[in-house]
Amino acid sequence: MADVRDILEWDVDVQAEPGSAPSSSVSTGGDSAAQQMRKKDEIIGSHASDKKQRSRKSQEPTFKRPEGMHREVYALLYSDKKDPPPLIPSDTNKGYKQMKAKLGRSKVRPWKRMPFTNPARKDGAVFHHWRRVADEGKDYPFARFNKEVSIPLYTSQEYQLHLHDEKWTKQATDHLFDLCNRFDLRWVVVHDRFDYASYGRRSIEDMKERYYNIINKLAKARADPNLSNRAAQVYDAEHERKRKEQLLRLFNRTQEQVEEEEMLIAELKKIELRKKEREKKTQDLQKLITAADNNAELRRTERKITKKKIQLPQSKSRKELEGSSKQILETGGIKFPDFKQSGVYLRSQKMKLPSSVGQKKTKAIEHLLDELGIPIQPMPTEDICQLYNELRSDMVLLYELKLAHANCEFELQTLRHRYEALAPGKLPSSALSLNQQPPPTAEEDAEATPTLGEEGVDVKMEDSSDDQSSKNKKVSEIIDVVTTSPSTPRKRRTAIEQSNMMKKLKK
Amino acid sequence: MADYGHDSGGRVKGINLVKPIVYGNISRYFGKKREEDGHTHQWTIYVKPHRNEDMSTYVKKIQFKLHESYANALRVVSKPPYEIQETGWGEFEIIIKIFFVDPNERPVTLYHFLKLFQTDTNLFLGKKTLVSEHYDEMIFQDPTAMMQQLLCSSRVLTLGAHKHETDFNELEEKTVVALQSARKKIRFEITELNERLKQSKDTITHFKEEIRKLEEQERRKEREKVKEKVT
Repeated sequence: MADVRDILEWDVDVQAEPGSAPSSSVSTGGDSAAQQMRKKDEIIGSHASDKKQRSRKSQEPTFKRPEGMHREVYALLYSDKKDPPPLIPSDTNKGYKQMKAKLGRSKVRPWKRMPFTNPARKDGAVFHHWRRVADEGKDYPFARFNKEVSIPLYTSQEYQLHLHDEKWTKQATDHLFDLCNRFDLRWVVVHDRFDYASYGRRSIEDMKERYYNIINKLAKARADPNLSNRAAQVYDAEHERKRKEQLLRLFNRTQEQVEEEEMLIAELKKIELRKKEREKKTQDLQKLITAADNNAELRRTERKITKKKIQLPQSKSRKELEGSSKQILETGGIKFPDFKQSGVYLRSQKMKLPSSVGQKKTKAIEHLLDELGIPIQPMPTEDICQLYNELRSDMVLLYELKLAHANCEFELQTLRHRYEALAPGKLPSSALSLNQQPPPTAEEDAEATPTLGEEGVDVKMEDSSDDQSSKNKKVSEIIDVVTTSPSTPRKRRTAIEQSNMMKKLKK
Repeated sequence: MADYGHDSGGRVKGINLVKPIVYGNISRYFGKKREEDGHTHQWTIYVKPHRNEDMSTYVKKIQFKLHESYANALRVVSKPPYEIQETGWGEFEIIIKIFFVDPNERPVTLYHFLKLFQTDTNLFLGKKTLVSEHYDEMIFQDPTAMMQQLLCSSRVLTLGAHKHETDFNELEEKTVVALQSARKKIRFEITELNERLKQSKDTITHFKEEIRKLEEQERRKEREKVKEKVT
């Protein structure tokens, strides 16, 4: 009952209305008592008790089927109370017992032992087997599996015209075709049965090659639809021979050879991996260089801005500055988080180094700041915040450049060693001159001074002490990037391994 | 401009209001250790507006969390001046929490390390009171409409001159100059190092090319030798 009600989505309370419930005839004692009460009420006509009844009904917690719960599941859970179990058995079937098994409807089909001939056999031998009576006289059902290959036959005239071959005599070819016919192109059998004594030793590949060549030639020469309709039989004997030889060799390897090969493959993989790594490194280096280039360009534009600053109101130039600084943050250095969320925050929070900046870099920054006489927590006004973040971003870029430079120097060193090993005492002059870089040469200084001079104009405008300090010492020399050197022995070893590998591969 | 929509949380979008503040402490040495409790210094921790204005129009209260050894360690001040005067013998970190009138604005937290002891140089100079104060700026990004009004309507605090122990304007100028010169220096070195890096990169490629050539030569020689042997 509950099912029907649920399906039709009737209100459950409808049940409670007297007379409307068809199940009221089959109800429990309690329910019928309530009904009696109701009848009495009806007779008396007192509405008060009816109201009482209603209110009692509504007080009962009406539990609604939760959304998404299957009706059947819900019925198991809840409908028990509402629907009393039936008192009279309603099942009219005879339970689970089936009186008699009913298997099949038709009559039994009889079998009979009868003789048969296999059309695949030429000798007409007669055997006997069991078969349904209904099938008597029909063909042997497995005869259809006897497939025969139609092998074209050539005339001796055709042979002389088209099929002549240095390696094969006509007799040998005839023999081959005979065998092919007999064994339905089962090449292994053909190969086995071949008369080597009279026609010489031939491999399967030789036989196949000869056979397919003849087929193709015949197809071309004749206008036989049986032959020419088929696609040309492609048989690459040379390839087959190589393939088999390869397999044979693979099979005949010794344990040591297998191991060596595995080792070589592993080494090759390592080399490739290292190559990739190196390429990635050079790419990173390129990125760094472009970042530094961008930085230099920015400097140029910024200088223009600072010159304009005198004339322009400050707010405007600041905007431009902000735009340019955003570019820096993109090109390299530190990415400071943006405060986009609405709410209150402190300006000093903007100066916090993001956690993406590693410990080494943080330390380097602090060291540099200390050296340049800048407090680690400067006063956080808008301008200072901007400048300070830019400065530290630049510092990180400088740090990375320095690191890259150190790596380059190291690589150069190893290359120089290698070069000397190859051609002792013959270092190319260009490399020699460029190699003496670390101590800045006079030439380099000359290069540097003009830019310094240019700088001087601005510097005097802002602070003259800057000039003096810059002459003293390079700040970048403070940065400690020696920590990368432990990779030295490893690199060398790999180089040796590589050369060994080369030798092995050459073998 | 004003957006009172429900989805924006009653916030005025695209407005940034900045309120600079100064916070820190001053301290003075008694001259000796006090007998009763061993205290040596009198100190005052404070939060002041940097400009001359009445912060109480938008600040509901300021909490100062002192060291646990103080009685009633969490002190609340709801009227200016926002400061706590105490005595003590040790330095510790004070957590300052600024609550705003509109409860929709989250409180701001500051950390100040209470300083009591003079540096040697100041002692030498004979300074009596020590000042350790910092400047910071509260930024109200997209403030609530209520907050915006309050922030814009604060009155002057005193009619007299509003001064701080530290001249922050001068400090700002100095810092800006230092930062600019530092940046210049760093950028100059970046370009320089960059040039060097490019050079060494070129040298490396050059070197590699040379080595490759040499190796090829050697290989050729070897091959020739082998050929000679064969013939």
